[in-house]
Amino acid sequence: MKSILLVLAVVFAVNSSSIFAQQKLMDGQRIAEKTHERNEGVTLKRNLIMELKDKRGKTRVRKTIALRKYFGKEKRLLIFYETPSSVKGTGFLTFDYPEASKDDDQWLYLPALRKTRRISAANRGDYFLGTDLTYEDIKLETKISKEDYNYTTIRIEKIDNHECYLIEATPKNIATKKELGYSKAKFWVDSKLWMIRKSESWDIAGNSLKTVKISDIRKVQNIWTIHHILVTNHKTKHETVFKFENNDYQTELSDDYFTEEALVNGL
Amino acid sequence: MIILQKRHWLMDYRDIYFSKLNAMCFLMLFTNGLLCAQNNKVKLESSLVVASEVSYEFKSDTFQKTELILKPEFVLKFKNRSKVVLKSQVYSEFQDNLETGQPTELMVSGFSKRIFIGDRTNLELRELYYYANLKKIKVSIGKQQIVWGETDGLKLLDVVNPQNFREFILDDFEDSRIPLWSLKTDFKISDFNIQLVWIPDNTYHITQDFNAPFFTKNMFKTPPEGMSMQVNQTKRSTKFVKDSDIGFKLSGFKKGWDFSLNYLYYYDDLPVFYSNFNDQATAIEISPAYERQHLIGGTFNKVFGSTTFRGELVYIFDQNFTSVKIINQGIVQADLYKSAFGLDVIKGEYIISVQLFNEWVTKRISPYNRDLFETNGSLLASKEFMNDNLKAEMLWVHSFNHNDGYVIPQLSYWLTTNTQLLLNSHIFYGEENLLFGQFKNRSRVSMGFKWSI
Repeated sequence: MKSILLVLAVVFAVNSSSIFAQQKLMDGQRIAEKTHERNEGVTLKRNLIMELKDKRGKTRVRKTIALRKYFGKEKRLLIFYETPSSVKGTGFLTFDYPEASKDDDQWLYLPALRKTRRISAANRGDYFLGTDLTYEDIKLETKISKEDYNYTTIRIEKIDNHECYLIEATPKNIATKKELGYSKAKFWVDSKLWMIRKSESWDIAGNSLKTVKISDIRKVQNIWTIHHILVTNHKTKHETVFKFENNDYQTELSDDYFTEEALVNGL
Repeated sequence: MIILQKRHWLMDYRDIYFSKLNAMCFLMLFTNGLLCAQNNKVKLESSLVVASEVSYEFKSDTFQKTELILKPEFVLKFKNRSKVVLKSQVYSEFQDNLETGQPTELMVSGFSKRIFIGDRTNLELRELYYYANLKKIKVSIGKQQIVWGETDGLKLLDVVNPQNFREFILDDFEDSRIPLWSLKTDFKISDFNIQLVWIPDNTYHITQDFNAPFFTKNMFKTPPEGMSMQVNQTKRSTKFVKDSDIGFKLSGFKKGWDFSLNYLYYYDDLPVFYSNFNDQATAIEISPAYERQHLIGGTFNKVFGSTTFRGELVYIFDQNFTSVKIINQGIVQADLYKSAFGLDVIKGEYIISVQLFNEWVTKRISPYNRDLFETNGSLLASKEFMNDNLKAEMLWVHSFNHNDGYVIPQLSYWLTTNTQLLLNSHIFYGEENLLFGQFKNRSRVSMGFKWSI
């Protein structure tokens, strides 16, 4: 009898610890929302350096200046190419609206034509300027979409000695899957900073597509800031390194930076 | 027989006055910028682009051009977002084929002429302007390009600056567009951006001599048989203020629509060829003159899903046309309406762009070598490969009225961070008296590179 009670006690203890562990895991949707709640400052000026490396090891470097400002909940982003000099002045302006149903507005200034081209923002899954991140990835700035996926929290794992929630994301419907170009994704989200430290994604056919590793996260002007992203495309064996330098949240960026006229006149 | 009168170009008082005034304005603003800069950080940025292209002409079995272009650029930036921009160019064409000898550049104002070193090399001040950011108003003064419009390939509103037709319209517009000494201001009224332009620099299109590969012969009527033709000196504008071009652009962005309204009071960059019989009626005297006209127009664009819809409309008052008839000095006037509508579809690495151009002469006249209603179309298809390392594109421009046009297939490849290789072909087709068809013997294949630091 004693032994039966002992077994029951052990089973109960194991079950209750397991239930407790599950209760500790935060809901995936809530984790996604938390990534949007972190402090990003109102304005940000920084150098964005993109290193594109193909499977043979050939590396091309693109240096840009990126400006970002929140106008209420609307975010505006301006990127200017600095090198190579033959494409210097190429500018990219985005108005990112808070309403999920409203497409962003985007303009591309081409100095070779001296003309501004209005470009569609509907193709969220298109790759951004030859890199391995999509326009949607760039727009989210290591946040996780609140609207596109159903989330399951898998467990807590450590990435580079930082405790992260591992959540699995599946697109809510086939249309979203096609738009994003992902059939599934996994995100490792830092449980203290609410920033992604790693992600993996699979293409529409279910094949492993990309791994994103984010490192060198440190405070700049009291705001946690990412300084290095490595994206590896497993299908093409292409890699992109994004380096963020001279991050500055304090320089005032007047509204007229984020206009079509500023695209033409440059910085 | 064509007799070209020998003309000498002298810098007239207008050019001298104009040069001085421009220099004074430029110096005042630049000094102002430097005074501001004393309390601010000043940053000098410099770059150099080296481009070379070799073209082989199919028909003549010879090289059409072998060019090398150096483009040094300096930008002096002040902390208040003001800047001085200097862009210059060294151009060498080793065969001296496209612009033979040292062109007199009669259509270029004295202050904007290139400096020729021998027959094969020239130096050009492409741009030198001071951009002043005065918070509520932005001012650009100096030699610069002012570009209006939405279309690719053919120009409707992009007429503020003239063009060098050394390679007809095959050269990049960035290279063929002639920067002008001008003043441009931008300011906001409510949600609208207002741009005012003042252009006292009376430089016109650089058209090519009769023996040049890209001489546009379709513009000239052949004289009656047995009659010679004499071309007199071109009559140019001479008043600095009175003859300057002025214009404005009002632009805005509302409910997803980009739009602009444009107005320009300007000299047409092509001369009007007035023709008269000489006293003995043995020759036709051509007296070219640049004439003024008014232009109003506008642009719009909006994105629908993956597609951008854009358009450009222009109405020119009293456009001069060479007439098939010899009355009224062989010239007839009519208002001209032009429109262009385009669709750009972007899907992944694919871009398809279609444009439809219409020109409508609003009076029943008899213009030489053109119809009263003309339609041109263009199709651009491009795809990028290997993370934008390699780009393949094809542009096709076609005249539906005359069945002439041209096709440009092109490949470009980034060899390294700073080096891009280019391979393309320009193929003209159509009858020889037509705008595009006249150059079918100029069809060519080209290869080149761009390197920058």
